[in-house]
Amino acid sequence: MKKIMNDPKITSSTSHSTATGLRMGCKAVLHTALLTGLLAFSGLTSAQQTLKIGAINPYSGPMALYGTEVTRGYELAVEEINKKGGLLGKKVELIRGDASTPQQGIATVEQLANNDKVDLFLGTYISAISLTASDTAARYNKLYWETNAVAQNLIDRGLPNFIRSGPDSAAFSTTSVATIKYLVAPALKKEMKDLKVWIEHEDSIYGSSIANSQKISLEALGAKVVMMGAHSSKSIDMNDSVLRAKQANPDVLLQTGYVPDGSLLLRTIRDQGVKPPAIVFVGTGDTKETLDALGADFIEGLLVVGYPKYDISEAYGPGSKAYLKAYRAKYNAEPLAPQSMAAYSGTMILFDSIKTAGSTEVDKVRAVVEKMDVPESTYPSGYGAKFTKLQNVRSNFTTAQWQAGKMVTVFPKEAISPGAALKNLPRKQ
Amino acid sequence: MNKTKDAADTLSKGGTFADQAIDADSSKLIETPKSLSFKYLGCMVLLFLPVLLLARYPQWINIVAFTYLMGAVAVAWNIIGGFGGQFSLGHGVFFSIGAYMTAALFINYGLSPWITIFPIALVAGLVSVLISWPTFRLRGPFFAIATLAFNEVMFVLANHFDSLTGGPRGLMIPFKAGFANMIFTERSYYAYLMFGFAAFSVGVSVVVRYSRLGYYLLAVREDEDCARACGINVLNVKLSGMAISAMLTSMGGTLFTMYLRYIDPPTLFTMSDIGVKFALLSLIGGIGTIAGPILGAALIIPFENYLRTELSNGLPGSNLAVLGFLMVLAALFMKKGIYGLFQEKYGKANKPALPTPMSVKPGGGAT
Amino acid sequence: MDQILNVLIIGLLLGGIYGLVSIGLNLIFGVVRIVNFAQGELVMLGMYGSYFAYTQFNISPYLSFLVVAPLVGLIGIVIQRFVIQPLRAESNMQIFATFGLLMMFQNIMLMVTKGEAYSIGGESSRWSLSVGELSLSVVRLIVFVAVTLITVGLHIFLNKTLTGKSIRAVTQDKLGARAMGINVERTYLLTFGIGATLAGFAGAMLTPIYSITPGVGGNFILAAFAVVVLGGLGSVWGAYLGGLIVGVVEALAGYYIDPVLRSAVWFMIFLVVLMVRPSGLLGMVGAEEVGFREQN
Repeated sequence: MKKIMNDPKITSSTSHSTATGLRMGCKAVLHTALLTGLLAFSGLTSAQQTLKIGAINPYSGPMALYGTEVTRGYELAVEEINKKGGLLGKKVELIRGDASTPQQGIATVEQLANNDKVDLFLGTYISAISLTASDTAARYNKLYWETNAVAQNLIDRGLPNFIRSGPDSAAFSTTSVATIKYLVAPALKKEMKDLKVWIEHEDSIYGSSIANSQKISLEALGAKVVMMGAHSSKSIDMNDSVLRAKQANPDVLLQTGYVPDGSLLLRTIRDQGVKPPAIVFVGTGDTKETLDALGADFIEGLLVVGYPKYDISEAYGPGSKAYLKAYRAKYNAEPLAPQSMAAYSGTMILFDSIKTAGSTEVDKVRAVVEKMDVPESTYPSGYGAKFTKLQNVRSNFTTAQWQAGKMVTVFPKEAISPGAALKNLPRKQ
Repeated sequence: MNKTKDAADTLSKGGTFADQAIDADSSKLIETPKSLSFKYLGCMVLLFLPVLLLARYPQWINIVAFTYLMGAVAVAWNIIGGFGGQFSLGHGVFFSIGAYMTAALFINYGLSPWITIFPIALVAGLVSVLISWPTFRLRGPFFAIATLAFNEVMFVLANHFDSLTGGPRGLMIPFKAGFANMIFTERSYYAYLMFGFAAFSVGVSVVVRYSRLGYYLLAVREDEDCARACGINVLNVKLSGMAISAMLTSMGGTLFTMYLRYIDPPTLFTMSDIGVKFALLSLIGGIGTIAGPILGAALIIPFENYLRTELSNGLPGSNLAVLGFLMVLAALFMKKGIYGLFQEKYGKANKPALPTPMSVKPGGGAT
Repeated sequence: MDQILNVLIIGLLLGGIYGLVSIGLNLIFGVVRIVNFAQGELVMLGMYGSYFAYTQFNISPYLSFLVVAPLVGLIGIVIQRFVIQPLRAESNMQIFATFGLLMMFQNIMLMVTKGEAYSIGGESSRWSLSVGELSLSVVRLIVFVAVTLITVGLHIFLNKTLTGKSIRAVTQDKLGARAMGINVERTYLLTFGIGATLAGFAGAMLTPIYSITPGVGGNFILAAFAVVVLGGLGSVWGAYLGGLIVGVVEALAGYYIDPVLRSAVWFMIFLVVLMVRPSGLLGMVGAEEVGFREQN
């Protein structure tokens, strides 16, 4: 070893290579530094170039499944807009904020506003959470864009930063009453003034407010509300309501509630032999659980009012088929509920507003939104965009019917997919 | 009479700030008002530290504020539940009275909560006496179930009388910032407010504990019949304890309303969030002690927040499943709560063993 | 008024459901003397167990209960042995622990089901008997028959067998029973096991009637406590009759007054009974004098 090292040829070449090595080393360091610097700089600039949206939903607790479902709608919208170059030249980033109670809504919004420095908020599957979360967002002067929660008081309180792209609970009432007027009454071959309606609802703000609107609208059309019953969604017996209704011999049962009470109600009317020729459910009754609980034969013909489903015609809901495809591709599963498409549509309206406004600032977006005039059937859920008091009045629910164990959209007429039709009305039971 | 009270004191299950050992020879108590005030002030300083340190971190300040609020009401619960041994699961009733009345008076008449907090507390105290009068005949689990029933009844009534309570829609207080309104833009002010309330609540608890009423409550807890035989008016003692507890609880409800600015029946009457929560916090901290409920709140509330944020991406419910599991473990391994754990490790050597009624020698005094 | 018969029948059938859910609780409450918050969750586990047996193996709940109920009973024994028993000196902590169990069970099922509601019985639960103008749901009738049989069976067990008598002895006087040589701890285990088995059985019977959610147990637990107190501590027939009374009162109140106030109505009645006759209808007088001390 020593001999080799002392060899002048080798030594000099080593020292030469050392020098070169040193130079190369320096170059390498410089290159690396430059590269790192560039990367860091681009990283820095790209950090400044994201538009952060806080998504407020229940991600823990019993509603987590639906909170996630709604958020999938947001995610698909974000993915799509980023493919097209982002929003206002920036990449859009969605940050989840978990809120299962109104109180958590406050804490989560504060966290997202202070720590993550989001630019605006998107929400929310549950109205009570939206109420407190958007209120907190107002104090940070950030936009709260509501895609799903339906409570009336969210708009009535007049919060300047709260804009709702989806339908409100009044729309549940309007669609259900319209279904009765244009679908049920003709099928039963009765005039509205001869129609006897039994309104049943769960007793929280959700069921009560919708039921009250329904009563007013139906009576205005001349129908007779022969019975109005309220029950707890956790009720373990509804025989009293059903027995009372039995006396009145209603033509239509109109129920607004959640899953357990809806199924129990159906079971109870079957037990008691109460057989209204038409049954309309608002909000729930369209899942596998109802099918399992009552059997396909019994629920055949049951009408359910809810968010536009995936089988609506392409004319009514352009892009609905594409959405379904994108959902299946990204999540490897069938959509759990139509709420996600509604969330997606609402988010698209938000993005269009921001583009036009050129900013995410509350005042600018609001100004744009108040002037928007986009016709219905522009977005996948059949929505248009026209806002009255910051509520999108061109967003609607649709009515679907159980046919052979599947849900088929039957109202409004335009939404019916080709080949589908109303069946089993009056119900054969 | 003196000796019986000392015996009652000896029999007390938990400790307090200092050891409760009674000198076997004398019946003099170690706690004097001076030493108590020192300890109280010292602990208040300690309690204030988190508020001071975390005031500028918004994500912490909410947790701190809520912890102090819950801790304070747990201290209030402890007065009747811990000192008095009456395991009430109906404190949600008093909490909701404070909440609803404050909101209604503020929204409809513009009355400042600073003014209404005390009169409302008096109302809650009155209600507590009315509903407890017949229920105090019951003991143990029967009493607990009866109070549970009251909570459920209130829930149904709150839903039904929507002209008063907003029914299922609830009541929302508009954001009109101002000190007089008890509505602050600066979140940290709430933390100061809740700290103040906690300090007040603990102070009341200390005063009660070392007053005659306090010893009567302990005596009733330990052996109701014996206490009655000693001439203590058991029912009055229970009612007084319950009234004080209810009044403090109602004040907590007032602060809760102004902090959240939104109340509805599910928020106020869900047992696991409100009704049972105060009992749970006291239990985990050390029931019957003064510091216990605050310690319990300091442990549970930030921790359940932590669990929720950590596990929110997991399966729904995982955070509460873990919390429930840990609660069971805590019950098994910290039988006397956190405070009891401290006592075991650092308690003075001559702390008397927990005697049963049988082991108290005739003539009083420690065993 | 013409519906009165119908309402009474409905009330009785509902009372059967209440009784079925309460009978296990009554036993546990009477013997072990704890407020077992987790009892509703045991019923819930029975429901999920039968659901699983039905969807995976196509076995009807009316058969699978033979396996499901004892499994739930086993869980009960484990709870008693490892959670309740070690805390016998701290009755408050016992309540705390049962509450922890409640949270655990509910949320574990939430994790498993992710919040989806389940139902079965689309086909079989459609059966209803028509007797003249009255309609009786067959599944509820089965519940009524079941609870009656169980009550009779328990009564025989508690009064005619030695084990049963030892259980009654522990209910009445723990110290005295111990002095008589009865192994009180083993009695606790046995009682909790039986009580949990009955809860599991109730769950199986209720599976065709209700939607199954993780929180479904909570719908029954308060009614169950009310029934137990109304009927009287330690009395099996008390729980049975208490259930029927609660069911009938609720049905009458719901039909004739207002369906929404029905739960408040019977709660008020329950409170009145507590004030006036705390030992319940058929309970042992003085049972309400139970204090926490007795747990030692």
